[in-house]
Amino acid sequence: MAKTVLVVDDAAFMRMMIKNILVDGGFEIVAEAENGKQAIDLYREHKPDLVTMDITMPGMDGLEAVKKIVEEDEEAKIIMCSAMGQQAMVIDAIQAGARDFVVKPFKPDRVLAAINKMFND
Amino acid sequence: MDNDNQYLQMFFDESAEYLQQLNENVLLLEENPDDEEIINAVFRAAHSVKGMSATMGFELLTDLTHKIENILAKVRNKELDINEKIVDVLFAGLDEIKKLVDDIRENGQETTDISEYLAELDSLLTMEKDFESIKNEDDLDLKVSLTDDEFYQKLSLSDEEEEEILKRLKGNESFYNIKVNLKEDCLLKNVRGYMILKKAQELGFLAKSKPTQKEIEDEDFDLVIYIILISTLDKETIVNEIMDIVDVKDVTINQLDLKKSRTEVAASEEVKKQVKNDKSNEKDENMKTQDKNSKKLTNIQVSPTVRVDINKLDNLMNMVGELLINKTRLAGLNIDSEIYNDIIQQLDRVTTELHHNVMQIRMVPIGGIFNRFPRMVRDLSKELDKEINLVIEGAETELDRSIIDELADPLMHIIRNAIDHGIERPEKRKEMGKDPAGTILLQAYQKGSEIIIEAEDDGAGLDVEKITTKAIEKGIISEEEAEEMDKKDRLNLIFNPGFSTSNQVTDVSGRGVGMDVVKRVVESLDGQVFIESEKGVGTRFTISLPLTLAITQALMVKINQEIYAIPLGTISETLMITPEEILQVRGQDVIILRDKTIPLVEGAQKLNLNIEYGRFHKQEEIPVVIINSGEREIGLIVDDLLNQQEIVIKSLGNYLVNIKNISGATIVGDGDVALILDVRNIA
Repeated sequence: MAKTVLVVDDAAFMRMMIKNILVDGGFEIVAEAENGKQAIDLYREHKPDLVTMDITMPGMDGLEAVKKIVEEDEEAKIIMCSAMGQQAMVIDAIQAGARDFVVKPFKPDRVLAAINKMFND
Repeated sequence: MDNDNQYLQMFFDESAEYLQQLNENVLLLEENPDDEEIINAVFRAAHSVKGMSATMGFELLTDLTHKIENILAKVRNKELDINEKIVDVLFAGLDEIKKLVDDIRENGQETTDISEYLAELDSLLTMEKDFESIKNEDDLDLKVSLTDDEFYQKLSLSDEEEEEILKRLKGNESFYNIKVNLKEDCLLKNVRGYMILKKAQELGFLAKSKPTQKEIEDEDFDLVIYIILISTLDKETIVNEIMDIVDVKDVTINQLDLKKSRTEVAASEEVKKQVKNDKSNEKDENMKTQDKNSKKLTNIQVSPTVRVDINKLDNLMNMVGELLINKTRLAGLNIDSEIYNDIIQQLDRVTTELHHNVMQIRMVPIGGIFNRFPRMVRDLSKELDKEINLVIEGAETELDRSIIDELADPLMHIIRNAIDHGIERPEKRKEMGKDPAGTILLQAYQKGSEIIIEAEDDGAGLDVEKITTKAIEKGIISEEEAEEMDKKDRLNLIFNPGFSTSNQVTDVSGRGVGMDVVKRVVESLDGQVFIESEKGVGTRFTISLPLTLAITQALMVKINQEIYAIPLGTISETLMITPEEILQVRGQDVIILRDKTIPLVEGAQKLNLNIEYGRFHKQEEIPVVIINSGEREIGLIVDDLLNQQEIVIKSLGNYLVNIKNISGATIVGDGDVALILDVRNIA
């Protein structure tokens, strides 16, 4: 059974990028969210094995969403999608319970390496 | 679709390249198990294959390469020792990868069932870990310990801190020095550093770190993090946990005993270092001897390439051929003009240069096929319980690409035979006073316009008597014929279809490809193969091949009003003889040329032309072309010797491929087609 993923990013292009990478890596995308609020709702609905979470999004940002999701589900596996220069935010997110991060622009092997490592635990 | 194809093509090309690299490097790894560069190279190649497979969406390949990568990661982290078993498993994995890639090439899907192999890998991954952790701690200790000097320089505890910590120790914890190296290309290293500290905190009590958490968050550090950790977990677990963080390059860990006094610690470290130095000396020596070994493997170099579809090169060669033909036609016009002559000269120079260059482009180093053999030799010698050194020389020798591709199978067959039938078992070799390890020398070099490839072994040699008996048994020759044959002819019997001297069909050489196939392939490439063999001493196969197939110099001759081309390489000389010089030996026309008896054959008869044969007996002068095929020479009687010119060899196409004594066709200056004589067959 392929692992299920919720992709969270406000830019459709970035969602597409990460979707392609993940699908190629053998994952199943169960839902896509454009902001933190949607992400929380969709997480509840689908209980995906993995969430890829953008940090800066309109409305509720990724950091907030991570906090909420982890609050509800300690086991949630969230990977932050960060741009260079968002170090502090990423550290906060990891403190809040995100498992790992990947840096834009995405390199498929890096993204998959991070995810696979996480599932190997 | 086009895009897809393009990606796929790239995927095939690149994965083949990586597989080759992997095969070579794993082999090197077996010889130099501690060479980190090789491990890293293997790792990178495996990783690249994984990346490509993932990008292309080939799940099995990705999974497979991923698991192989895991094994390699363990090797790299010194959790697994390179031993024969691991190497076998890695090689098997490479074979599985190849199968999957072949599947994709053939039907676009990964059809090979690799679950068995994956299970084996999984068991290795888990089992070896347990095994390793039980395996003598000391050994492990030496390997993973970092020099404590280094550590103390970077990070040590003050007396107060130490006391503070000692108070916290409950008795079952251990005290660890940990050094974490991050990868150079690590992104957002402060976040990584933070994750490492966070992980350390999860694993135990983080006593101190350099850089500190603050420094890490401010990105005020290089790629190294030193940690003093107190934990109830064992070294293995801690290392694995930290290694699981992305972008961690390696982790070294050292267990400390705080209860001992500092001086004692220092003393014991001193001893340890001593041991280490001794070990490293030993290693140095090992390295030296291994260097020699690896040299012969590593000097097979495949140059960096620009990838061009071979069809494009064929087209280019064709166009150059057309140009040559037209140049020849133009030159044939014989216009009496200074400008014309000038142009013709220029044209001649340019076309010759162009031809030469195109030929050069088509040339690839024979190393491309030679470097497949070390792996094969290793596998086979293991399987057959023999010791064999493969020595490769002249791998940089270049040959036309189309020839190289065809040559791989025959060479492989010859080498297989050498391993299977040639080289004896070590015990037997010792008995005979030979080095227990057999040697196979594979070399290539250029000799004139030919490339010579030799495969020589110092094994048992071919048994001429046995071959002869077998050939008679199989009805290939009669006993009378056998009487007449010299050693060379008898050895050549093994090239007969359906001939096999070994009574046992082994997995190795009993695969249905006989020596006849070797001969056929080589000859189809316009080459020749010879055997020399001495019983108990060894066997040498020599393959000679033309540098290139497409364009060659030829002598144009006339037989019954038609023009034929004879490739110059096969001609030793041309003669004009008189009917009186012709002698008869057992009904065969011969001439004596410098004390050598050379049989004469009539071209028209060989070509089965519908004319009266033997007319040459009435001529005053008879043109004869002495052609040779290997050691054989014959005189071919023609009607007229015309000129020497460059010809572009064209195949006769699929329907006419089996026409006897004709190997192809070419277009001559006036636009007519001339057939090319297949000298090999005629002689």
